[in-house]
Formats: sequence, C-alpha cells, structure tokens
Amino acid sequence: MKPAPFRYVRPGSVAEAVGLLATHATTGRLLAGGQSLMPLLSRRVERPSLVIDINRIAGLDEIEILPTRIRMGALVRQEQALWSPIVHRDVAGLAAALAWVANPVVRQRGTVIGNLVTNSPGAELPAVAMALGAEFVVRRVNGEEIVAAETLLGPCRGLAADAMITHVLWPRRPAHVGFYEVARREGHAPVVSSLVTLTGEDCRVALSGVCPTGLACPSVARMIAQRLPRVPEVAELAGALREDLLGSVYSDAYSSARYRLEVAPVVSQRAARLMALQIGSA
Amino acid sequence: MTDDLMDVVMSVDGATVSARVRARLLLSDFLREHAAAGGVHVACGHGVCGACTIVVDGVAVRACLMLAVQADGCAVQTIASLPLFEAGGAPEIDGLTRLQRAFRDHHALQCGYCTPGLLVSTAKFLAEFKSPNRAQILDHLNGHLCRCSGYANIIAAIESVLQ
Repeated sequence: MKPAPFRYVRPGSVAEAVGLLATHATTGRLLAGGQSLMPLLSRRVERPSLVIDINRIAGLDEIEILPTRIRMGALVRQEQALWSPIVHRDVAGLAAALAWVANPVVRQRGTVIGNLVTNSPGAELPAVAMALGAEFVVRRVNGEEIVAAETLLGPCRGLAADAMITHVLWPRRPAHVGFYEVARREGHAPVVSSLVTLTGEDCRVALSGVCPTGLACPSVARMIAQRLPRVPEVAELAGALREDLLGSVYSDAYSSARYRLEVAPVVSQRAARLMALQIGSA
Repeated sequence: MTDDLMDVVMSVDGATVSARVRARLLLSDFLREHAAAGGVHVACGHGVCGACTIVVDGVAVRACLMLAVQADGCAVQTIASLPLFEAGGAPEIDGLTRLQRAFRDHHALQCGYCTPGLLVSTAKFLAEFKSPNRAQILDHLNGHLCRCSGYANIIAAIESVLQ
C-alpha cells in the first residue's frame, strides 16, 4: 500500500516545527528517521494531513556531555548512539539494547527518540529509558518542560499532540550491563527483552513485552543484586516479577500473556548472568 | 484531501533528475518512475525486506521508508553506482565488481530479486567494517529477506571477500 495524501513541510527550526504542531495538533505528525512512521503511513494506519519533516533542523543530531547527563537531540540516529564512546562509557545499558534493535541500515536512519516516542509494545528502548531514569525535554509553543521517561512512556500519560521531544537526557552512570531478548526473528520486535545494570549497589532491571508499556522492575533488581555473584533461579525471579507487574500482562496474536510471563524470568536470568559474567571478567 | 505537488531535484547515479511529484510519493517509486532506476526493487514496501536499499548522501537507506521530497537536493546512488562505492574501488572483471563476482561464484542468488539491495548495503557495510565477525555479518543480514538462498551462500560470498 501507499500513503494517503498529506501536505509536507520542512521547518528549519524547532520553533517553527512546534508552531506547525500547534496549528495542526491532531492531524500533524513529526517525521524524523521514519523507520516507524513511514510503514504506518504506507499501511494507512496513520493518516495525518500534515507531515512535518524535522530532518533538516540544525543542531539536533548531537550527543553532548553535561555534568551529570548525556543529552541527545531528536536527530541522533540509533547507529550513531550505538557506536558512541560516550554512550558506551556512561549509558552502557542503552548501547547494549541498541545492538539488538533492527539492523544497521534501519539504525542508520532511525532515531533514538523516534523509537522511544513510538513506544511500541515490546520495543527495547522505552523500557530501558524508564529503568535508567531518562528524561525528555518536551517543547511546546509556550515553553519547555522536563518530563521523566517513566511518566511519558508509562501507562498513564502520552505525549501531548502539540508537543515535540527535542532531546533525551540520560543519567551518566557507568555500569556493568547484561541484555538479552527472545524474538520470533532476531532484529525484529522481541517477545520479551530484559536489561540488567549494576552501578555500585544500584541495580536496575528493564523488561519489555510483559506489560503494554515498558516495565522497570525494582523487586527483580533487588533480588539480582542480593544474590551476586550468583544468579537467582527462574522460579524466584518469576515471584519477584509478580510484585513488579503494573496492571494486565500484554498479549498479541503471536504471544499470549501466559507465554510472556513464562519467558520473562528466563530472559531476565540470562541478562543477569551476562552482567555477572561482565563483573567477573572486570 | 487533494495531493500536494512539490518540485524535487536530485542526482541519481550521477544524472540530475527533476520532477513535480506528490508529497506522498515514496522515494523507491520516484526512482523507478522518474529516474528509470530499475535496480531499485520494490517488494514489501514497508521496510522489512531490504530489496530497495539505496545510498542517499553516502548512507545506505531503504528507499521505501523515505519520501521522494525528503531526498530533494540529495545525491542518490543505486546498484548502478556499485563500482563507485564498493570498498577498494573494485576493478571490474566481466563487468562485475568483486562483490558481485563473489555472489555469482558462491551461488548467493537464485531469482535475484533481493540481490541489488543486498549488494548495495553489503558494499556499504564492508566499507565501514573492514573485517566483520560472523555475528556482525548476521546482524547486517537481518535487514534482508532472501527466499531462495537460505542465506548460507550469501554469508559464504561475503566472507570470501574479507581482507
């Protein structure tokens, strides 16, 4: 299929882009890397009247080091972040997850923020952003605010239709990390993915594919941290995961809720084991 | 809603192409319809199969996941420009580059529909990663569907041109 008709504009600044969004709030869509939006347009799942292409806005393609955070603009491509030494050092969990996203050609065009804001069920990055405590810089015509990833990507609140995420802020926290996922086909949306990170005693666990949105799992994280250098049994992790669940478990045509709950602790255990191996070899 | 018409100019395999097109026209369709670039194969049309992979301003992209208007002012290269961007300049023998000969010699294609996209992205991949390991090659091949070969021969062809 091909996209339905729309008007196309290519603003030169963020101010211009949010101005256009303000006047086309419900029918305008921002186009960055297009690796999520373009298929939705072609399948006519999305039928915006205005496509606002932000690809030529200057300055949004930078990864900057701030005192306590790494700041990424809306045009930072996934491949760019994956190979960034700064990201590897300070946001290793993101780098570990990015290696599992799609394939090099898609990652060269797809943006980190585009993947986050699309927030597909099962997608790796939204869960990672929530567990690592990332924040978004949200810009609207009347100003700018900082919103926690957990708020914006969680079950309660989405992004306002007239808002544009200009940057994502990642806490700088060198960590040992393990990432693992089960997918029907590698490089495609996982059934369940899990990130485990450890900085000092601060253990974080992100799970995707269990709930409709990403899930940060403090109980699972606590259990993993307590048992190091050993790794908990699958049954124990399953018990801890039940405490972390928020609302219903996700299911779709391919993977039932029951299957996802069965796979999640296994995937978490493998991610924890990869992290433990990394600590052991450090 | 009526179609928004826009003027675009881009370089396609070294030739300047200009046209007035619908804003919603995909770059893959533009290249076939307005630039006679038959090497841009359209299969799935939504970014899964990799058959339409081309190079825009030096970066490999899926032509079906870009609008023609987004490539306005850009330099587009298709499989026809392979000798120009394949690593090492690839002196041609039998009119084929080194990578094309490797695909032929290892029987890495049967029907050939996926081949132009595969060659384009593999050439760019090998230009960046001089000696990729097997895991990196498989990650790269995740972006391509080939329903004939079973991939084993494609992997063998790629590994045969390393170093």
